[in-house]
Amino acid sequence: MRTLTFFLICTAIGIGVFAAARLVDNDYLFFAGYVVLQYIVLATAWNILGGYTGYVNFGSAAFFALGAYATVFLHKALPLEISSLIVIDPLPIPVLIVIGAVISGFVGLGMGYLTLRLRGAFFAIATLALAVVLQTFITNWSFVGGARGAYVIRPNEIEPIGPYVQYLFLLMLALAVTALTVARFIERSRLGLGFAAIRDDELAAEASGVPTLKLKLIATTISGALMGMAGAPFPYYIGYLQPSSAFALDYAVNSIAMPMIGGTTSWVGPLIGAVLLGTLQQIATVTISSSVNLLIVGLLIVDCVIIAPTGILGLIEGRRTARDVVADPAVFALLFGINVIPIYFLHQEALTARPLEIIFWAVLIFLALARGRLIGQLWLITLPIVSAALSVVPGPPLQGLISILALVICLACGLLLRPREAATRSGTP
Amino acid sequence: MDVPFDLLVNALVAGLLLGAFYAAVTIGVSISFGMLDIVNIAHPGFIILGSYIAYIVNSRLGIDPILASIVMAPAFYALGALVYQVYYASFERYGQEALRGLAFFFGLLFVTEVTLILVFGVDYRYVEAAYIGPSVQIGIIDLPLRMLVPCLVALTLIGALQLFLSRSFLGRAIMAVAQDQLALQLMAASPTRIKRVAFALSIATTAIAGALLIVIQPVEPSIGREYIGRVFAICVLGGLGSLPGALIGAFLLGIVESFTASLPWLGPSWAPAVAFGFLLITLAVRPAGLFGR
Amino acid sequence: MTALLEVDNLSKRFGGFVALDGITLSVKAGERLGLIGPNGSGKSTLVNCICGTLANEMGTVRFDGATMNGLTAHERTRRGLARSFQLPRPFTSMSIAENLRVPLLYTVNARPGSHLSPAAIDERAAELLSLVGLADKAKHLPRDLTQVEMRKLELARALAAEPKLLIADESMAGLSNTEVADIVALLIRLNERGITIILIEHIMRAVMSFSQRLVVLVTGKKIADGAPDIVIRNPEVERAYIGQ
Repeated sequence: MRTLTFFLICTAIGIGVFAAARLVDNDYLFFAGYVVLQYIVLATAWNILGGYTGYVNFGSAAFFALGAYATVFLHKALPLEISSLIVIDPLPIPVLIVIGAVISGFVGLGMGYLTLRLRGAFFAIATLALAVVLQTFITNWSFVGGARGAYVIRPNEIEPIGPYVQYLFLLMLALAVTALTVARFIERSRLGLGFAAIRDDELAAEASGVPTLKLKLIATTISGALMGMAGAPFPYYIGYLQPSSAFALDYAVNSIAMPMIGGTTSWVGPLIGAVLLGTLQQIATVTISSSVNLLIVGLLIVDCVIIAPTGILGLIEGRRTARDVVADPAVFALLFGINVIPIYFLHQEALTARPLEIIFWAVLIFLALARGRLIGQLWLITLPIVSAALSVVPGPPLQGLISILALVICLACGLLLRPREAATRSGTP
Repeated sequence: MDVPFDLLVNALVAGLLLGAFYAAVTIGVSISFGMLDIVNIAHPGFIILGSYIAYIVNSRLGIDPILASIVMAPAFYALGALVYQVYYASFERYGQEALRGLAFFFGLLFVTEVTLILVFGVDYRYVEAAYIGPSVQIGIIDLPLRMLVPCLVALTLIGALQLFLSRSFLGRAIMAVAQDQLALQLMAASPTRIKRVAFALSIATTAIAGALLIVIQPVEPSIGREYIGRVFAICVLGGLGSLPGALIGAFLLGIVESFTASLPWLGPSWAPAVAFGFLLITLAVRPAGLFGR
Repeated sequence: MTALLEVDNLSKRFGGFVALDGITLSVKAGERLGLIGPNGSGKSTLVNCICGTLANEMGTVRFDGATMNGLTAHERTRRGLARSFQLPRPFTSMSIAENLRVPLLYTVNARPGSHLSPAAIDERAAELLSLVGLADKAKHLPRDLTQVEMRKLELARALAAEPKLLIADESMAGLSNTEVADIVALLIRLNERGITIILIEHIMRAVMSFSQRLVVLVTGKKIADGAPDIVIRNPEVERAYIGQ
């Protein structure tokens, strides 16, 4: 399918989504949808540098915030009267988006130039550093509000769309379509092949004639620009911008988690990841605290990266058998132990948070199954199932204790038991 | 602008004391990143974990935090061995460290930090010990004991590690692994096992560094992230894999931060930017560091 | 015949370790040069320095009349200097046909004047794969290949860059006798078509039958340079290398 066709189809889908949302006529849908769309852009942008080229960016928040604060700056600086005849009026958001893209792209280019001649690890660390430096600067810059924050007053309505949030939603929809089109275009182009070569083996890519530094700079610039684009409308969305919200951890964590969970090798992966994880978080946001939310995402990253490194896309395409994952007892132990943590904390939250526990119970059951199969003790799978049943249904404290005990036994047996020589005991749940 | 001499001297001394502590925090990364090429950005997470464990032991049992941490160090060693084994089995073996390995440590950092927030909340926690509070005066120099004691412990720790690495068989095997894995294999030593020991050691140091941290300042879970930049800045500045280099780099950073915080026209809110700015400049200008190979 | 490649007093250190010590050699256009030496003698380091993967501290490399110092590896490849890696480094996420598209798109198509259409590129890739005997594995991923097949892929990928000078770094390790003879015959055919070739090998039979001239490297120093049958009778060479 040609790029133009893809773009048109996406636009059509986008318009369809917008129209459907208008039919429902609930403003909250637009508020939540905006965030999901924003994450589609961020995840796709991250993936161009991370998934395609192999360079991890921990500072997505920096580029996002740059776009946001460029908007704040211009919002405060304009209207600007240069002389009595020349007045620069406040800029409409689409222009701000372009400016955000340019600024963030530029910073991406600059940072890339400083660090991309070194190993990928240094680049990753530098991106962390960048986020903190930028946050410090902005916190100390009173013109854009500093630590106190800045108000960005927006109109309530805008013709001909109606409520302002719907206008923002539409803009973000356009940005999402743009980001996906750009990603897909790159993927299928000579540029994308060069990126993949760099990711697979940078030395061999150089030796094959790929100008690795130039391509890496291109990737950083495009990725940064897209993130800046996503950040530009944010002040209008949120109304009151503080550095802590622009530089929020959520952006760094999610822009890594979403492509990794969805799959990093194609434009579809970040889309899947952003829609799934983004929607999940929007739903969960009313039932759980933001800390638990971050815990879940962080844990999903660890789980995904070990169990399903190729993400959902990879699972669909049937790659990487999961059985060898738990071949090493250390992996089984760490994963098992670590996945109990969110279950414990979700338990402390409202009952409506219980469904989220299912994800981690599923992981535990999977671990027990894989490990059990490997060491020939399939009965292990009964333990987490029993534990889950006991913990999900409310009851006396003894029930909880038995639940924990079952898990401990599962862990211990999974680590200590060895496969039996005579395959007489196969044990079915 | 007229800055009093007293202020300058004390800023210098404070910087040195701070620097020694920074070195203790960094020493683990000098090993894991400098020698083993493992980008463990979860390192600060382990340090904060160490701080909180010191806090619990101190507030429940009244035991001195630094002593407690030395007792806890073997547990951290075991944890480090476990984490390395997972890292090796899931990523290093397949050459996937660049993307997935990094994401793994990132995830661990998050999980650690957020779990601590959920358990302890975001309030600052502090410990109590005899040496927190009093200061020693030497002329115009003011030496707060809560900085001096960690400084001395840090220097001892670094000295001990350096001795271990340069004199003992295992230590020298670790340095050999850093330089040439193939040669080591030919000598019938398993690089994986040696790397595991080294990594476990690096995590063991975080137990102690964490206790030192909570002695110096009250701690809350997100402080770890401030240290990521500092730690890697010092490592890179001092030259990867060089413990003495890390010490010098740490002193440098400590002094610059101290001056930044005490000079009236900048102030402490700029401190985080200093380390990271250092890092960016070092990476741009001399990535091999001052003492690098 | 003029010198295509001139290496002049090249030195390379890794910290305190001197990997290459004042290497001087020249390769004439159209020549078949063999480069031998014990493990660790610096052969691969020399290749890395010539091709730009590593930067040498001292000395110059001149290729095709121009100095290479300061040029990146990809620029050198575009000027006609290609190499295969001793330990194969395929692009693991791509099929082996796509592995060849990388040099075709980024080296051949980057040269002024030549521009292959997508169809022509696919054709060239298929040709190269049949040349090395991997035509039936065109759609496979590198992880499905045997070690031997991966070495052939390395060679094919280097050839895809349409080099003037090809450095083949241990392409024949693990091959059977007939396979070795096949590759030698292939390289000689390529040489007759005008490609200058430096062959780095441990398989003496191959080196002797292939090389017009032989250079021996021992612990970073060049200890012999001349006609193959004379060089191998050099007592220093015998002691350092053939005696093993």
